[in-house]
Amino acid sequence: MTTKNAPTSMYRSEEGLGVWEHRGKVAAVGVGHSPTARRWDERPETSVGAWSILALRRAMEDAGVSPDQVDGLVIVPVTTTGAFWPDDKPLPMEAINAFNQTSDPLDGVAKLSDEWLLKNMPELTNVRYSAYGPVCMSNALNVASQAVGDGLTHTCLVLKAWHNLEGRYYQGGKNAANSTDGTSAIKNIWGAPASFGTALQFAEYCSKYGKTHDMMAPFMSNSRRNGLMFPEGYWAQHRPEELTAEDYQLARWIAKPANLFDNDIPITVAAAYLFTTAERAKDLKQKPVYIMNHVSSETKPRSMTPTLDEVEADTARTGRMIYEGAGITADDLSFENMYDGFTLFHQFHLEGLGYRGIKFGEALDFYQTDISIEGPNPVSPSGGNIGSGRSRFWMHTDCIQQLQGRAGPRQITGVKPEIAVSGGPMPLGGNYTVWSATPD
Amino acid sequence: MVKQGVEPDELTRPFWQAANESRLVIQNCNACDRLQHPPEPICRQCGSGETLDWVQMSGKGKIYNYGVVHDCPVSLLQDDQPFNVAVIMLDEDPGIQMYSHLPGVSVDEVPVGGNVEIVFEVSANGQKIPEWKAVE
Amino acid sequence: MAILISFDIDGTLEVGDPPGVVTMDMVRIARKKGFLTGSCSDRPMSTQRAIWNQHGIEFDFVCYKHMLPELKKNFEADGYCHVGDRDDLDRKYALRAGFEFMWPDEAAEKDWFSSDL
Repeated sequence: MTTKNAPTSMYRSEEGLGVWEHRGKVAAVGVGHSPTARRWDERPETSVGAWSILALRRAMEDAGVSPDQVDGLVIVPVTTTGAFWPDDKPLPMEAINAFNQTSDPLDGVAKLSDEWLLKNMPELTNVRYSAYGPVCMSNALNVASQAVGDGLTHTCLVLKAWHNLEGRYYQGGKNAANSTDGTSAIKNIWGAPASFGTALQFAEYCSKYGKTHDMMAPFMSNSRRNGLMFPEGYWAQHRPEELTAEDYQLARWIAKPANLFDNDIPITVAAAYLFTTAERAKDLKQKPVYIMNHVSSETKPRSMTPTLDEVEADTARTGRMIYEGAGITADDLSFENMYDGFTLFHQFHLEGLGYRGIKFGEALDFYQTDISIEGPNPVSPSGGNIGSGRSRFWMHTDCIQQLQGRAGPRQITGVKPEIAVSGGPMPLGGNYTVWSATPD
Repeated sequence: MVKQGVEPDELTRPFWQAANESRLVIQNCNACDRLQHPPEPICRQCGSGETLDWVQMSGKGKIYNYGVVHDCPVSLLQDDQPFNVAVIMLDEDPGIQMYSHLPGVSVDEVPVGGNVEIVFEVSANGQKIPEWKAVE
Repeated sequence: MAILISFDIDGTLEVGDPPGVVTMDMVRIARKKGFLTGSCSDRPMSTQRAIWNQHGIEFDFVCYKHMLPELKKNFEADGYCHVGDRDDLDRKYALRAGFEFMWPDEAAEKDWFSSDL
């Protein structure tokens, strides 16, 4: 089986497509998470491959589905954006040899292929469909939703895993060298960190609308509070620390106006979901959560980094596509779980959605109101990456758990959880899913 | 402040060669009459790879926005922190942006909207890099 | 007057993540000897306070790495020393603020933290 990225035809990336043809016919029925760790300790049992297997098995168990019933697998093959195995570091042979290998020795250690998973999960005897949703769980969810809807797979596992290694994220490799290739150099030699683009958009936003960085504090505290109620998450498991306004506002800058806490913490973790048809879902263990729409934005900035105008135009467009395909309006959203890996762009997602009627320039004011899980306007009830560490999937797990009534202490109580949206990563370009407690 | 050296590759070789001659060139699609930067193998608008050329710029622009980098991933620049990274818009097409450390401008005192002119700095391996200086 | 010592937490103190070689008992000893002590870490300041409180150790300050210059201004002392495990964060910020810098294993050998002297 030669697996490739899912074809572009599977993504809904245009306005005017109407209601998604599989609206309410695909359902999420199982969730599985691995433990979390700050960095990989190079033991085989905590490798990204091992934890991926664990998450997949837990998702099947959660759904009450036996492995031989699974006929589809959609994964994200890249397991990092900034922690690469150094060229000059000896390979972790103990971890590599503990598993059945593919031709790539780093498979299962610093990346992941479906071939590696299937070689090491002999119980998955009937996988006939396999595809990659590149970059993020959000992308993989779109692919899995469409694949189940199209009948390419009937019972499909969806997986995203992350690894983190010793050393600082994004440092090392090309960034540690005295020279770099011409294409990378166009952007990278000025030393802008990953959050730089978002920082610029936020600076422009504050200037345009008369807002300040300090106004982010309630969102930060709210997100960390929610994350500490996410037992699968890093902070809850390892460092149950709240984040007060003072903590946040006095933190050191990374790329002013983005400070330390505006950047999510890299971790090692894996999560898997089980998708099936709405028909099949009725007979399974958990309450189904129906997928009403999936949307992709493939917009790229005109040049080096998106301007605020580009961000606002694309988030608004994404919002329109989300509502059009799901056959809903902003008023129908019970809650939102848009991405927050750089905290300073969550508000762009909110404004693009017109969440609770807010318009461009109003989100930071909205943060000063009751955005708690107990209130009528919950913002990021998952706590996102800020609440639980860099995974880009807490938002999706939370949507499923909220709509199933399984979010535990994090369960929203100020509004009845019926319809939600999650996705990202960036405000320009990204993948989004609309979830519902009912199929119509 | 010395930037990393650059090893030009096939896609960007004209850009870096021109820089060594103290010229700024930007990729242009002759069919669309549309500049694009960073350079790509095809025109983002029409998808053609055959119609791309390189056009010399005046070397004049404006400061669109900036951030101050306090924690930078590039080892060679870490001792220079904190430093400005500004986004420059070219006069020929404000949609085309370039980054700049704005040599001569104090940290966090960047005149947003101000005019800039190109200068060329030598990097760690001798390759010249386009930079921008604030002008009246 | 006394000498002020600021401690990074992760990679430096035994309670850090990862744990460092400087024990909380060493800090207690230094305090008994009259040193001014506190933490200077990327951990939220509220967390830093909680860590000291949890271990029953009084502290003169908590701060973030970039606040060392302000710390120096606020405390009159005979000397200023920061103990940390990161060259790019601890050592750099310490020296820039005019602090002496010590790696954790150097600190562990220092008589400041020894009960014998």
